[in-house]
Amino acid sequence: MVIAERSTDISLMAHLMRRAGFGASRDELERRAQVGYEATVDELLSPGQANYMPEDIILRYHCNVLESRVLDPAAARWMYRLATTDRPMEEKIALFWHGIFATDWTKLNQTLSILVQIDMFRRLGLGRFDDLLLELARDPAMMIMLDNQDNHNGSINENWGRELLELFSMGIGNYSEDDIKEASRAFTGWTLGNAEYMALRVEKDSVWPYSCISWHFDYRDWDHDDGEKTFLGDTGNFNGEDIVEIICRQPATAQFIARHIYDFFVADEAPVPQWPYTPPRDPEAVEYLVNVYFESDHNIGEMLRACFNSDFFKDAQFERVKCPVELVVGILRQSGAITRPSDTAFEAARAANFMGQAVLAPPSVEGWHEGVEWINSGSIVERVNFASKHMSNVENPGVQAIIDRLASMNGGHFSPEGLVDACLDVVGPLEVEDSTRDSLAQAVGREGDISLRDRTPGDDTEVRVGQLLGLIATTREYQFT
Amino acid sequence: MTTQVQSGRATLDYVKTIGIVNNAAKGRGFANPYDVAFGSGGRIFVLNRGMPAFSRVGVVNLEEDYLYEFGDHGDNEGEFRLATGIAIDASERIYVAEEQNHRVNVFQDDGTYLGRWGSQGSGDGEFEGPASVAVDGDGNILVVDQNNHRVQKFTSGGDYLGQWGGFGSGNGQLNMPWGIWIDGDSNVWVADWRNDRVQKFDADGAFMASYGESGDGDGQFDRPSGVCVDRDGYIYVADWGNQRLQMLDPDGAPLVNERGQATLSQWAEEYLDANPEEREAREQSNLWPELPEHLQTPLLVSTQTEAYFWGPSAVKLDDEERLYVAEGPRHRIQVYKRSGA
Repeated sequence: MVIAERSTDISLMAHLMRRAGFGASRDELERRAQVGYEATVDELLSPGQANYMPEDIILRYHCNVLESRVLDPAAARWMYRLATTDRPMEEKIALFWHGIFATDWTKLNQTLSILVQIDMFRRLGLGRFDDLLLELARDPAMMIMLDNQDNHNGSINENWGRELLELFSMGIGNYSEDDIKEASRAFTGWTLGNAEYMALRVEKDSVWPYSCISWHFDYRDWDHDDGEKTFLGDTGNFNGEDIVEIICRQPATAQFIARHIYDFFVADEAPVPQWPYTPPRDPEAVEYLVNVYFESDHNIGEMLRACFNSDFFKDAQFERVKCPVELVVGILRQSGAITRPSDTAFEAARAANFMGQAVLAPPSVEGWHEGVEWINSGSIVERVNFASKHMSNVENPGVQAIIDRLASMNGGHFSPEGLVDACLDVVGPLEVEDSTRDSLAQAVGREGDISLRDRTPGDDTEVRVGQLLGLIATTREYQFT
Repeated sequence: MTTQVQSGRATLDYVKTIGIVNNAAKGRGFANPYDVAFGSGGRIFVLNRGMPAFSRVGVVNLEEDYLYEFGDHGDNEGEFRLATGIAIDASERIYVAEEQNHRVNVFQDDGTYLGRWGSQGSGDGEFEGPASVAVDGDGNILVVDQNNHRVQKFTSGGDYLGQWGGFGSGNGQLNMPWGIWIDGDSNVWVADWRNDRVQKFDADGAFMASYGESGDGDGQFDRPSGVCVDRDGYIYVADWGNQRLQMLDPDGAPLVNERGQATLSQWAEEYLDANPEEREAREQSNLWPELPEHLQTPLLVSTQTEAYFWGPSAVKLDDEERLYVAEGPRHRIQVYKRSGA
């Protein structure tokens, strides 16, 4: 194993920025290292106004990204924000909740309401879990996803009540079938405006006459079952708010959320359906996060602060396989491939889809299975092609910035091995196997040493460096975060 | 919803809505209509931006007959991508600006392809995203050059004649301009999109006046996309970001804010006739909903309120001074007419 020359602080900061975001340039890592690790954690978790490619610029070019008829434009709209925001934690937490509260366009036939849901994850995703879960219960996209518009007083539909307990808060084994029924009764009357018309349009995939009409929450008091209910041992004339409050004070809920946080931000866990039968990978870490959940009054941001500042997090570098969105967005951000509206955001959304992660269209309400399941012969080809295309394009400003940085190092003169080490350091810092390093040096070294001092934009020298960067992005090691 | 800013003055009357979404590359209906132009015999040439691949010109009339269509999505002759603007000259040649390939395509009014000019760049006669096109009284073609922040003038054959503008926010400067209009006195009006104003120039491009500022109040704009001026000097602005149409008096004083009041077009009625269960559910719905606070932006209100404007990209006057507002995301055109004063 060759360890590229690097600073521990920079490596740790790079780890944090990959997990709490989608990676950062070397310049940003160095700026943040000056500020300090814990201060950076605080900054990432603090509320603030995000800056990203302006919405008006995007909407003028892509007049259909909010129109909802098809998936790609809406997915591309999120890609723009993922790739250009200066508040990556906001997007990471939205992606985290999107994977848990999985809402699928293919059932809804409407994307804008899912984008509004994603925005809700940005607003509430780092706050109290109670607030998030309550807003989720009012979310019209989730209602259509789990049929709560069909959940009526005297004729309950259990779909939402069941998934609320099984997949969104407590996990199997921590509640009874009666609890599901009682929760469902409590959520009768929770529906969306013009539910019958909207549900019919969904059912028929109708966009006529004037394209989609977006959705909003509606409460029908006359359709709510106000009778007495017994739920998880408590009895009362519960409404939906009461159910959420009871759920959020359960130890099982804390355990469930803590394990999700560990799985997504620290190290790959077993798939969720195996959790009742498989102990956590690091039970002490999960228990630590459970305690923070209760000490902080169910605050997700505080759980993440504790997580990011913990040794188990800091020791987990490159322990997770990058999910497709992490890979694609990381490449876009590192290469700077998106500077103005174009087809690139669409291409990126489709690429993530081909790699197995279609944003706004998770495969089921269970979300995606993370970890090594991301990698198969088809997805790895997609990963390699996307990564090499953008990281080897020396016209991309991020790639150009890497070349500029290399030119300022070592007098701009490198042996093939030296260039490989320098690139691994600037791109990561990334540690690779000896054989990988040898192969990279061999590929870039066919024409001998390289000097960046007299290069001109896009010349053969820059292209050689670009090709090396493209190759690095295709290595096995680059697939991990 | 119409808001009369000054009572007792001119107002806007709603006339009708034309359109329906067409989820295919051809046929009756619209695919993100972005601009309109008017030909002889009451023909309305509707330019469909057609995201992602349905670009074309559809020809209709006020009676909602779908007459014919021409153009296609692509890069070959007679094709275009990401079309932005359309204009017609005295010989009924149709000029279609396209953003993707940075050029202007020319057709005869029957759809016969005649030629094209332009390429990407910032030199004379080159474009960075042509955004709209107009024909002046001499038959010359004015093209708004979005990302070069300027207006360029050409002969009808595409020979470069001159330009004005340049990036900035001072008088006569532009920031990503969009729509263009030439009034009865040959003055040129430009929707100065990212400066949140409209500017008036003389026929040679000399600055004359500027109207509006950033905001959502009366006479303020949020990214105006289109502008036109009627024979009496009343000014109409497609206030794109505020999702409304504004009417100003000839001195530029705000008169009317029109949020939109679309009704069912004839094509929409025919669709609902064929789908009675949708009509029944629709008629039992409240399509003017009260929305929670987090959905209160003009954009989100428009996505929830079908009758309101959503993404009004162009406003144009026909020979009878009827006002046509194209709405890409709603695939329709709302028609209005001024009355009074």
